[in-house]
Amino acid sequence: MSTFSGLSTALSSLIAQRQALEVSGQNIANANTVGYTRQRANLASVEALSSPSMFSAGLNAGNGAKVTSIDRLGDIFLDARVRAETGGASFAATKADAYARLESTVAEPGKEGVSNALQEFWSAWEDLGNSANVDAFREVLLENATALTKRISAGHAAVTTQWSQTRTELDAAVVDVNATATMVAGLNQSIRGVLVSGGSANELIDRRDVLITELSALVGASGVQRADGTMDVMVGGNALVHGDTAEVISVSGASTTMGATVSLHWGPGGTGMALGADSGSVVGMVAALGPADATGNGGILAEAGKSYDELATALVTQVNAQHALASTASGAAGGDFFARTETVPPTIPPTYSAANLKVAITNGAQIAVGAAVAGAQDGSMAAVMAAIGKAAGSPDAGWTAFVSDLGVSSRSATQRAAITETTRSTAEKLQMSGASVDVDEEAVNMLAYQRAYQGAARVLTAIDEMLDTLINRTAV
Amino acid sequence: MIGRVTQQTIQRSTLTNLQRNLTSMATLQNRLSGNTMITKPSDDPAGTASAIGLRAELRANKQAARNIDDGNGWLTTVDEALTGSLAALLKARDLTVQGSNSGALTDQARSALATAVEGLRDTLLSQANASYQGRKVFAGTTDAPKAVLVTAAIPATTLPLPGTPAIPATYTSTSVATARVERRVDANTMVRVDVDGAKAFGDGTASVFATLDRIALALRTPGADVSTELTALDAHRDAMLGELGGVGARQGQVLAAETRALDTKTTLTTQLSGIEDVDLALTIVELQMQEVAYQAALGAASRVMQPTLLDFLR
Repeated sequence: MSTFSGLSTALSSLIAQRQALEVSGQNIANANTVGYTRQRANLASVEALSSPSMFSAGLNAGNGAKVTSIDRLGDIFLDARVRAETGGASFAATKADAYARLESTVAEPGKEGVSNALQEFWSAWEDLGNSANVDAFREVLLENATALTKRISAGHAAVTTQWSQTRTELDAAVVDVNATATMVAGLNQSIRGVLVSGGSANELIDRRDVLITELSALVGASGVQRADGTMDVMVGGNALVHGDTAEVISVSGASTTMGATVSLHWGPGGTGMALGADSGSVVGMVAALGPADATGNGGILAEAGKSYDELATALVTQVNAQHALASTASGAAGGDFFARTETVPPTIPPTYSAANLKVAITNGAQIAVGAAVAGAQDGSMAAVMAAIGKAAGSPDAGWTAFVSDLGVSSRSATQRAAITETTRSTAEKLQMSGASVDVDEEAVNMLAYQRAYQGAARVLTAIDEMLDTLINRTAV
Repeated sequence: MIGRVTQQTIQRSTLTNLQRNLTSMATLQNRLSGNTMITKPSDDPAGTASAIGLRAELRANKQAARNIDDGNGWLTTVDEALTGSLAALLKARDLTVQGSNSGALTDQARSALATAVEGLRDTLLSQANASYQGRKVFAGTTDAPKAVLVTAAIPATTLPLPGTPAIPATYTSTSVATARVERRVDANTMVRVDVDGAKAFGDGTASVFATLDRIALALRTPGADVSTELTALDAHRDAMLGELGGVGARQGQVLAAETRALDTKTTLTTQLSGIEDVDLALTIVELQMQEVAYQAALGAASRVMQPTLLDFLR
């Protein structure tokens, strides 16, 4: 125990308290930084030097304090929970968004919807049936029929547009996944480097964890902590990021044809193994883009397109069949009322394309409303035509079923999105309650460190005065 | 897990709650300003299906009302024409009875009666060609220009001798018994709104016009007896009365359908309104409550967010 060891003890405290105060300063500075995890300087006392020797000078006080580490007060289990819930929530939200957008293009119930156009169409037949001799009613019927075909093809076009926009968004999201994975790999490398050289990589870890949570939202990624401080990112059981290397993922499937099979793959070019992810917005988009299937559980957009085609098919088939039974004023049998444009690829029995639905008749005189045996001004077949709208299996019934199914699905998707979002935000709240900065707490800490610093300075002064007495006033 | 509370968690939960309050307010406000409970199918899927169905029924009801108006127009025209024809026919019968008093009348008087009978025939012809919105009501579904086609009589000629005999005018009804004009007055009732001209006025030589022509000819022929045609006139009168009765019955049916359609419209509108329309009182009260909750949340946020320990340290 030397004369000056008290000075170095005070000095160690000054240094340690200042460092701890700096950590508090860093915490307060980042009180509002997204993804920042609060840190704490760990102080430890420095033990006394006691050499077991002959001249050992008895008991000694310790040698002051030191900062042993700067801890990051995060919880990897809460982080993992946030990632899992984020993947599920963003999958549900993507699905609910797709439904909401689809619903807005359907415009039901109301005056702008297909059902209203159908009603106007059937009514125009009855009006013409009442006054088969008045040409104006033929023109009104043609106008209403054209309005109906335009409404249906516009509805179909809106679905197609939504499909191709979602397809473009999917491409962008996959680029985003790959870029984020590369950044995570880069950060892993830096973190390993810093930790190996004994530094504190807390801020880098914060940034990496935010990026991994972003990957969770995109493809439902989860993180696996490794001993060297890096974190592997797993998607569907395989590593998207392994240490400092990142894999790429890609999309396969046409980008222009609605109903094409779209899928995610490992590796570039869309030819590798299937990705196998089951949550995240990218997976939600792929689900929305899927082709229609026989049970009606395919991708929502292709299913909606199919429903429009079914409506067009019912309309074309039933109206044309009835029209062929009636005669025009000149006694000829009615020709096709709606043009028969088949869907691609053709099916048996044929289905007709909603996108190209058009009225085949160009001239009001070609409209047939009379019975074959009756006079030229007969309109009795128009009432039969109008009755199609109320019959079982009518285009109207099919459309109503589609709209009500869409409503049910959309409602449940929205509810599901709300529930998963609540779970996600609960998980996030728990994570934040552990990791976020409490300004009050930091203020208290600052106060404690400041007081300890002042105390250490006081000790320094006391020793200085002691030495002054010894050196300057003794034996002068 | 008991959470540690920090400024950030308070801030986050305050924002979430404010957002939730605002969302409910926006939904209520949307309902109030749009005055509809269903703006998209997912608001109420079952209600959407009902609303579409009710709208379709309302449109069908509106169309039935138009059909009824049209049918009523037809039946009224037919009724007026038949009533007018019947009056003319009765007048003609009186003149025929007068004409059959052969001893009391001079040839000139009989000739004058003949002219009057011919005038009544023309009246009947014009009634038989009565039209409604361009359609001949006694011609069924044909597009013939008239319900009764007339070929003018050719008077007897004396030159070249011995001359050709007079050819009487011919009357052909253009109606077809099977081609009826019908109107749908409700979902599944069709009502006939025309009358077969051949039945009401007769066709060819059996027509009321030919009968009147024969009476006029007989009156112009000195000494001829016209009373033989009275039976034929009575038969025509009975035919017309029969048709008129039928028209009356059908008009009654149409008017009843009109009342029904009006009732149905009220019922359907009420049902649709029950599904789609906003309960104003309820929604306004809900909005008010939501507003209070929102203000309370804002007030609480302003109190919690402001102070920190730093405000009290010197």
